[in-house]
Amino acid sequence: MIDDILYIVERYWPLLLEGLKNTIIITAASYSIGVALGLSLALLRSYGPKALAAAVTAYVEAFRGTPMLVQLFIVYYSLPAFGIVLDPLTAAIVAIGLNSGAYQSEYFRGALAAIPRGQWEAALSIGLRKWAAVRYVILPQAWRVALPALTNELIYLLKYSSIAYFVTVPELVFMGKYIGSRTYMYLQVYTVITVIYVTLALTISEGMSRLERRLSVPGVSITGRGQ
Amino acid sequence: MALTVWDYLPVIFSGITNTLILTLAGVGLGFALGIPMAFAEVLGPRPVQLAIRWVGRVIRGIPLLVLLFIIFFGFPNIGITLPPIPSAILAIGIRSAAYQAQLFRGAVEGVGYGQLEAALSIGLTRWGAFRHVILPQALRLAIPGWVNEFTIVLKDTSLAYAIGVTEVFTQAVHVAQVILDYLTPLLVVAAIYFTITFTASRLAESVYRRVSVPGLGGGAAL
Amino acid sequence: MTVVLKVEDLWKSYKKNEVLRGVTFSVNEGETKVIIGPSGTGKSTLLRCINLLVRPDKGRIFLDGEEITRPGINEARVRSRIGFVFQHFNLFLHLTALENVMLGLTKVKGMPKEKAEEAAKKALLSVGITEDLWHKYPAQLSGGQKQRVAIARAIAMNPRLILFDEPTSALDPELIGEVLKVMEKLAKEGMTMLVVTHEIGFAMKVADEVMFMDGGRIIERGPPQEVILRPKNERTRRFLSRIWELYDLGVRG
Repeated sequence: MIDDILYIVERYWPLLLEGLKNTIIITAASYSIGVALGLSLALLRSYGPKALAAAVTAYVEAFRGTPMLVQLFIVYYSLPAFGIVLDPLTAAIVAIGLNSGAYQSEYFRGALAAIPRGQWEAALSIGLRKWAAVRYVILPQAWRVALPALTNELIYLLKYSSIAYFVTVPELVFMGKYIGSRTYMYLQVYTVITVIYVTLALTISEGMSRLERRLSVPGVSITGRGQ
Repeated sequence: MALTVWDYLPVIFSGITNTLILTLAGVGLGFALGIPMAFAEVLGPRPVQLAIRWVGRVIRGIPLLVLLFIIFFGFPNIGITLPPIPSAILAIGIRSAAYQAQLFRGAVEGVGYGQLEAALSIGLTRWGAFRHVILPQALRLAIPGWVNEFTIVLKDTSLAYAIGVTEVFTQAVHVAQVILDYLTPLLVVAAIYFTITFTASRLAESVYRRVSVPGLGGGAAL
Repeated sequence: MTVVLKVEDLWKSYKKNEVLRGVTFSVNEGETKVIIGPSGTGKSTLLRCINLLVRPDKGRIFLDGEEITRPGINEARVRSRIGFVFQHFNLFLHLTALENVMLGLTKVKGMPKEKAEEAAKKALLSVGITEDLWHKYPAQLSGGQKQRVAIARAIAMNPRLILFDEPTSALDPELIGEVLKVMEKLAKEGMTMLVVTHEIGFAMKVADEVMFMDGGRIIERGPPQEVILRPKNERTRRFLSRIWELYDLGVRG
């Protein structure tokens, strides 16, 4: 078993590295889309006009209520009928990003709601306008509150980037399947891949908790949620 | 005249049974494994606590798709060959166990040390304190998390497509490939998932309200 | 006179922080002893050691002459004989007021339900919790009501001794009186009590002895009139002058 694993690493490391690269690209790109989208949606839903807030709610519920895989297939297989053709990698990034935006908007919204009313009143009382109060008083507190959830989301996306396999993006799982089909050593290959994923996930969680500690402000509580 | 998605609706619907089987069996297996894990992690001796924490961490770091492939494609390497549906249930169940253990441990910790102290102070044993004071509160606190876990598992059963389980997503894709229209079958299957998650959440909410106690769950602050 | 509780040379430290440094005292049957002193000087740890919630590093504790700090003691049985009233009440959140009091009676003492209910109601009435509140959950009670239910929970077990850990510190000022009144009544009825509190008015009126703790030791002890009105130790004097200031400002109505 150990010998097989060493053999696979030795023989196929360029493929595994290529897979890792794509996995990281998908994760990082879709996470960035998710942060930008999530924050905008949360602000719209919390402070925007009513009609817009309702539209955002519909978006969020639709994306959270259906599997990411369905969303990916819609983006990749059915958008071409409307003249939008995306290559597999882009399709994966867009679909996962849109999905993550829905989830992250919920994290941000929860964090915004967690800021005590008194902070608002104090901000307005010194003459700040609504958006200035959001920008200078509410957000700096809210995103610290949201940070643990945002960390979890990054790890979550790292794992879900694997669904890009279904649209033939050569990321880690795809490479694993390929190497497995050549060597018939599926267990060994996926053991290697598991080690890669777990190492990445633990690194992210360690790095983020360091960041959390550095950014933490006494009294702005960071309460993790179950998952 | 070409057949449309409506003629194929029964084909898509036929997959719902397998989707529900995967979901319920997966969550059930996760519960059966996850609760003892949580107990051992809270009450067990230090080395056991550490071991279980790390097992949980590692499993939570693996994509479900990888677990699925390890079991379905990898296990035959060591002489264990499982059909698609049991493979999927096992993969989903193992992962769900890691999350449910974490969920339940969080609920136990959420009950708070003061409750344990108070229970011990009236003379209950550690087990008695757990059984009569911690557990009834923790189970209530864990309900929303369990509903969430159920919906996550439901949606992730779609990954079983990768190993050829004929669940609802697989059926929708097959129909799409036949009628050469992806959008409609995918929207249909999306609607099916949405309906199930929505119904499950509503159902759970009413259960939650029924068992809720003022100040403990039911949305009220502790 | 019967000695109910004897504490002998108790030491406890957390990491490098020595919280208790040789505490010795005893409480006789029917006595109320009050411990005062600045925060973080080991008062709460002392009570937790007595109730075996915390293991002391050194020293011995006797309840009715039996050493309860010896290894192998049945901790649950000891605790069932010592009541504990917490600063933050710690009522069981999933149980009603009545059920909170009944739990120890049924699960620890093994009383049948009807008998436990009867005893629990009696205990609740004795602290002024009337029938209309029996089926309320903790979240539906005021702070003063919660603390009185907690006292009833302790009384109902018919303990040899009740420990109070700053029982009024988490209460709004207007609710403190109702809790102190219940404690005063308990003391008059002959309950043996060890009370950690900042309420020197209560100490003056009820205590048989006041002990001033600072830095993990008992620095001064004696009748309340002496320790509170004519403290000999400089640190006691400084602490009390700050407390009196609060009284004069009317913070404690």
